[in-house]
Amino acid sequence: MKKKEIIGGVLILTIITALSGYLLAQVYKTTKPAIEKQKKIEEEKVNRGIFPDGVEFIEKEENGVKYFSVLNSKKEEIGKIFTTSSLGYGGYIKIKVGIDKNGKIKGIKILQHNETPGLGAKITEDKFLSQFKGKTAEELYLKKDKSEGRIDAITGATISSRAVTDGVRKLLEKINKKEVRSEN
Amino acid sequence: MKIDFKNFIKGIWRENPIFYLMLGLCPLLAVSGSVRDSLGMGIAVIFVLTGSNFTVSLIRKFVPSHVRIPVFIVVIATFVTITDYSLAAISPQIHRNLGVYLPLIVVNCIILGRAEAYASKNNIINSILDGLGVGIGFTIAIFIISLIRELLGNGTIMGHQIMGANYTPFLIMIMPPGAFLVIGFLVAIKQGIEKRGKKC
Repeated sequence: MKKKEIIGGVLILTIITALSGYLLAQVYKTTKPAIEKQKKIEEEKVNRGIFPDGVEFIEKEENGVKYFSVLNSKKEEIGKIFTTSSLGYGGYIKIKVGIDKNGKIKGIKILQHNETPGLGAKITEDKFLSQFKGKTAEELYLKKDKSEGRIDAITGATISSRAVTDGVRKLLEKINKKEVRSEN
Repeated sequence: MKIDFKNFIKGIWRENPIFYLMLGLCPLLAVSGSVRDSLGMGIAVIFVLTGSNFTVSLIRKFVPSHVRIPVFIVVIATFVTITDYSLAAISPQIHRNLGVYLPLIVVNCIILGRAEAYASKNNIINSILDGLGVGIGFTIAIFIISLIRELLGNGTIMGHQIMGANYTPFLIMIMPPGAFLVIGFLVAIKQGIEKRGKKC
């Protein structure tokens, strides 16, 4: 290969890379506001699904834990929404948990999971998730694991069901413990 | 400039990327379990393929052959990133479901294959037609496969329940092996139709 050919190739590659870099910077700038807006809309949709009577969702942070404080139309706090994750069958399951003022579960939603399609993936269905509503930490066990348990596991997906149940319970226990301590 | 519409048609039927060239099977296995995701994937591939074929054909005379592969990859990566940002802005749900397979279009062999085998040797219009044809061929293939897989594996199409409530889903269909089974049957059907056509 001649010297001239090498320099020519390097030059062309550099020009094309620079052009594409410039183009991408422009695309990034134009799409960024839209992407952030979509993220917010989606976040709000999930929050509203958990707390249908919530009017405002304010992002807060306490001891390094991020959560949403849910306000009703009279600007009173009616609950909080936390995000937690739990190890399932195919990796971590990301769960959003709404907790009402009495320390009970208001509702939960699966944000992300990697469970087996058709089996573990059924944890995202309302049939399973609606069982969590109004439950206290003591009741958050699978029926087959503990006699106090009030959660029915999905057929063929015990590990995924247990992961969600345990994850939500552990979060609830942690939050309730903290609240008691701060009240004393 | 000679324009030949055969370039458009051939990607859809005779040289269909999935059923004939057997390229791009990896994203196909991953996202063809749901009709909605596959349509998203198909549209992304059409856009990237047409864009990269156009650009590669445009610059084919300036690019020395020993740096052509890195140049093609840069061009493809640029279009994939544009698609990635745009999809995130338009439909975050499809964007999330496609996950890592969207950026992986960069290394999808259909796209580099068309750039190397076609666009780097042909004029702009024909290259665009070729890109559109192959992209639409891919989309049709992934659409048919996902239709069969979602219907049998989940009893739904686009999330709507089609099969009765008592239908027991054929689980293997929404797992990756199901995609292989469906592709196998469809390739056999296509071959059968072509053979019959030759006999007549």
